[in-house]
Order: sequence, then structure tokens, then C-alpha cells
Amino acid sequence: MPEPSTQVSYSRPVPEAGGAAQAAPEVVDAVFDIADLNFWYGANRALRDVSLRIGRQEITALIGPSGCGKTTFLRCLNRMNDLLPDTRIEGRLDFDGEPLYRPGVQAIEIRRRIGMVFQKPNPFPKSIYDNVAIAPKVNGMKVNLDDLVEESLSRAALWNEVKDKLKQSAFSLSGGQQQRLCIARTIAVKPEVILMDEPCSALDPLATIRIEELMTELKSDYTIVIVTHNMQQAARVSDRTAFFTVEDHPEGRSGVLVESGPTHKIFTAPSDQRTDDYITGRFG
Amino acid sequence: MTSVAERPAGRTASGLSARARAISELTGRDRAVRAVLFVAALVPTAALAFLVYEMIKQAYPAIIFNGWSFFTTKKFTMGNLYGNVVVKHGYQAAQGADFGVLPLLFGTLVSSLIALVLAVPVAVGGAILLVEKVPARLQGALGVFLELLAGIPSIVFGLWGIYTFGPLLSRTVYRWIAALGIPWLSGSTGAGEGLLTASVVLAVMIIPIVASIARELVRSVPAVSKEGAVALGLTPTETIRFVTIPYVRTGLIAAAVLGWARALGETIAVLVISGDALNIYPHSIFDPFSTMAATIAAFLDSALTDSTGMAIHALAEVGLVLLAVTFLTNLGGRLLARRFSDAGLPVGRGV
Ligand SMILES: Nc1ncnc2c1ncn2[C@@H]1O[C@H](COP(=O)(O)OP(=O)(O)OP(=O)(O)O)[C@@H](O)[C@H]1O
Ligand SMILES: [Mg+2]
Repeated sequence: MPEPSTQVSYSRPVPEAGGAAQAAPEVVDAVFDIADLNFWYGANRALRDVSLRIGRQEITALIGPSGCGKTTFLRCLNRMNDLLPDTRIEGRLDFDGEPLYRPGVQAIEIRRRIGMVFQKPNPFPKSIYDNVAIAPKVNGMKVNLDDLVEESLSRAALWNEVKDKLKQSAFSLSGGQQQRLCIARTIAVKPEVILMDEPCSALDPLATIRIEELMTELKSDYTIVIVTHNMQQAARVSDRTAFFTVEDHPEGRSGVLVESGPTHKIFTAPSDQRTDDYITGRFG
Repeated sequence: MTSVAERPAGRTASGLSARARAISELTGRDRAVRAVLFVAALVPTAALAFLVYEMIKQAYPAIIFNGWSFFTTKKFTMGNLYGNVVVKHGYQAAQGADFGVLPLLFGTLVSSLIALVLAVPVAVGGAILLVEKVPARLQGALGVFLELLAGIPSIVFGLWGIYTFGPLLSRTVYRWIAALGIPWLSGSTGAGEGLLTASVVLAVMIIPIVASIARELVRSVPAVSKEGAVALGLTPTETIRFVTIPYVRTGLIAAAVLGWARALGETIAVLVISGDALNIYPHSIFDPFSTMAATIAAFLDSALTDSTGMAIHALAEVGLVLLAVTFLTNLGGRLLARRFSDAGLPVGRGV
């Protein structure tokens, strides 16, 4: 592990010598290849010329101040923004080498391959079992549902806590359990990518640690993109980090990608002063 | 906390600390609020109790006179109001008087249930479409339309049913249904009066009630819950089925019960459309029939001329049964709703 070259502020979260230190300087195998991506809410340009490659079976953290477009960017990746009226997207966004927004690409099909976990746990108003089983069932997956439910809940580190009450409402679970249930239901449809938008912001530190462990575990099979406001979290779990910020332009404020790279580099030797300011807490 | 208590205490002549005084003030106001709420809660309860008491008092002679035959006879006749008087169980009645509620009970339950079966899917489907598919600007206009529909007097519905809608249905849809030859759904379709027309008109009357509640319920489903389904690759229809409907289910039951109560008690529209059949059960869904509420309205005038008073007592007994049915459906709806919300679903409450 190379010594940090810049003077390290005590508040600078230092990535652990795990996967983080091993990330190659450049993404070799990109799941998402994004170039000059722009996104508009009406006349408001929320993303400006974002270019980023997201590596397969890596954890990529998106960080940056509030309102810089992290959520917007994340929701471009599984075409969730399609639901919003009066929005526009431009630029290149390739998923597995294919343009994600090419006419003819079925957004519904795409979302089965790119799962999403939300900031607030949002289980279905159904039983624990149904929460995991519904999507595979209606998607027509040819599997034994009972096995799939057990496997998914086990992977989400929830099985032992719920195996005796699968028929109970998902709302009877705690917030942290509900979030793990949402992760279980996401991995049950066997996606290639899991997008997570501040998945731990509603959870206590213990539940947060559990989800972080879970992510590290899931990394062997999935590509994970996580938005987080928690610098320690980004430093702990991610292989790569992308730092976004808001820039003032004549036509209004827009989110831009300042820099991206191996988490270790971003946290210890960022090339942009704004990144350093943000990471060390000198920002706003 | 101490400093807060000490500062105003200096200004308190009584020697009570401000904190203690604040508590006693609070409880004083609390008590006043509680008293007002108590009275507010008492008024409707007392009104209901008084109503039930009056109904029982009015119906009592008929209850004794009719005995169980009230629930076994098909007939409902006041007898010869100008003939002799008979005495039974110590109560006088006109000769030939015979009071049976069964066909009326049957008519009330069946017409209101058919209305409910027709209205609920339309109302709920309409509400979901309105919220999910119709642009916001149009939603307001359609909402106003629903409210207008709910405000139309029931006699207008009755006249429309008997002169326009019923004849139209009987010339067209009823013929097609009857042609299928399904028992209960075949036979003469009449001129448009009868059980099915009354039920359809009742359905039209309760759709706005159910739909406007359903619309609020569907609106209250959190967007993030629906997004959860969309993010799993579920289609809009599947999202409605697995998120929206389960969310609003308990509330929908309550809305349906409210609509049902309206259909049970609807008088004038049914009276106009029913074909006013007495003493018989309808043999098909197109036959004339009558309900408890419609019969009370139809008979009231001549019942007042019964010098023995028994006709009025008998109508009060019918009213009592109607009251009981309304009460029971309400209770049933509540139990059903509780059964669903027992599952811990935040249904109808949002999150
Ligand atoms: N549905 C929307 N309609 C219009 N503007 C939106 C919408 N969602 C977000 N925006 C705007 O786009 C910009 C970026 O928002 P976004 O939610 O992507 O930021 P974020 O980085 O996720 O912020 P946070 O850290 O607070 O979650 C903001 O200026 C926001 O006001
Ligand atoms: Mg966000």
C-alpha cells in the first residue's frame, strides 16, 4: 500500500487495505460505459457531460454534496427516470456494450438485469415470502420459489431472523431488516448490477455494518453502484469512487463529475482540490 | 429546566412554581377539551340510542302480533282497512293483515349486493386509472364530475332509470344476457323496470362514493413503494396488483361498506324502478321486486289510515330489520377490514 503523498488530515477517511487498494488505476472490464451524459429536468440541466466507466464486479461509490445529481445519475442507469415526465437524456450510456437508451430496448427488461435498492426501505405490502417471490414469479423464472426465497434471504443475511415467520407482513420487520429484505428481493431476480441509493441512511450503525458486509460479499457476483454521504462508508466498501459536485453555469446549476478513480487514490491523493475539500470535510 | 421554572416563579404571587402552574393550566384546558369531546361523542350516540328505542317502541305491537311469521310469510298486506278488526295476542289489526318481511329483505340484500359487485370494480378501476394515467389537469375536472354525480338527487336517478336507462338496457343488454339461457338470468326482460335495472342504477349512485374514497387511497400510496416494484422490472399492471391494491385494500373495504349502506337504504330511486312487486320473490334478475326501504315509503300513506295502527307498527318493524341489516353489514365490514389490517399492512394509512 503506497504511502499517501499529500498531508493527511485527521478527518480523512483512509480506505482499508482490502479490495480497495487492489483496484486497477483504470477500469478494464466496464459494465457501464458512459460518456458525455447530460440529463435535463425540464429546462434544468441536472447532469453535465458526465463520463465514467463502471467496472464489473466492483463496488463503485458515488459521492458529492447534496443536489449534485448522484440520484439522477444512478436512476439513469436502470432507466428509472423514464417514469418522470418532461425529462431528457443525451450522451452515451452503454450497458454491456449496448446503448441503454437505444429505441427498442425494453426498460422493463433492463430493470430486471439492473436492480435497485432505495434510500428508504420500501418492501411490498405483502408477506416476507411474497416480497422475495413475487418478481421471480411474475417474471416467469423457472426455479423452485421456496429455494430461491431461502437462498436470497440467506445471501441478504436475513434468513435466520425470518425463517420462522415468512408469512408475516414485511412491515413487521425493523427498518434494517426491511432494507435487507429489499436487497434480498433485488438479488432474487438475479440481476447483473445492483444500484443502491444511500441504502443505509435510515439505519443505525449496526445495521449499516451488516449491509456493508453484505455488499462486500455480493461483490463476487454483482456489480454494485452505491450513492453515499458517508465518507467512511465509501472508503470502507468501495473499489472506485466518483466525486460529483454542483457547478454554476450561465444557464443554471448543474451536476458534474469532478473525478473518479480507485477509492484509495481519491481518498488519499485526489487530483482536484474540490475533491480534497469535500473528503476532508472542508466543503460547505 | 430549572432555570425555566425559576424565572417566571419570581412573578408568581401564589407561590406555585411556574412549572406546576403550567401543568395545572394544561390539565385544566385538557379537561375542557375532554369535556367538549365527550359531549361531541355523546350526541350521535345518544341520537342513535333514542332512534333505536323509538323504533322498537313503535314496532313492538307488530313484533308481538306477527311473531315469527314475520320472517316466514311471503306476504306483506295491510288487510282490509275498512273491514273488521281482528285481535291476536292482545293486539288489534285490520282483517286479513299479514306482514312478512322476507321478500323485502331478499330484495334489499340482493339489489344492494348486485349494485356493489357492479360498482366496486368500476369505481376502483376508475380511481386507479384516474390517479395513475390521467394527466393532473384533467384529474381535477374529473374529480368535480364525480362530486356532481354524487350530488344528483335520487329521484332523478329513479326517473332516468325507469324512462331512459332501463328501457334501453332491456332492449339491448338484457336481451343478450337472457339469450344465454342461464337460470336466474333468463326469461322476459320486461320494459326495463325490475331487479337488475334497480341494481344498475344503485351501482351508478354508489360509484361516486366508492370512487372518491378510492381515489384518495390510491393517491396516498407512497411513490417510493411503487418505484420498488418498477425497479424489479414489474409492469405497471403488476405494480398496481402487488403494491397499489394491497396498500389500499382495507380502505377499499370501508369504502365498499359505505357504498353498500347507501344502496341498502336507498328508497325513492328503487321505489320508482323496482316494478313494485309485493308478496313474491323475483324469479329472474329482470323481474319486479321490492326492498324494505321502498316498501316503507310506498305503504306509509295508506298505513296511516289504518285505525288499528298495526300497519304503522309493521312498517316500523320493517324499519327495524333494515336498521339491523345496516348495522350488521357495517360490523361485518369492520371485522373484514380488521382481519386485513391485522396482517400489519399499513393499508389505507400510508406509511
Ligand atoms: N424529479 C425531479 N424533478 C425536477 N428536478 C429534480 C428532480 N429530482 C431531482 N431534481 C433536481 O436535480 C438536481 C439533482 O438532484 P439529485 O436528487 O440527483 O441530487 P443528489 O445528488 O442525489 O442529492 P442528495 O444527496 O440530496 O440525494 C437537484 O437540483 C434537484 O433539485
Ligand atoms: Mg439523492
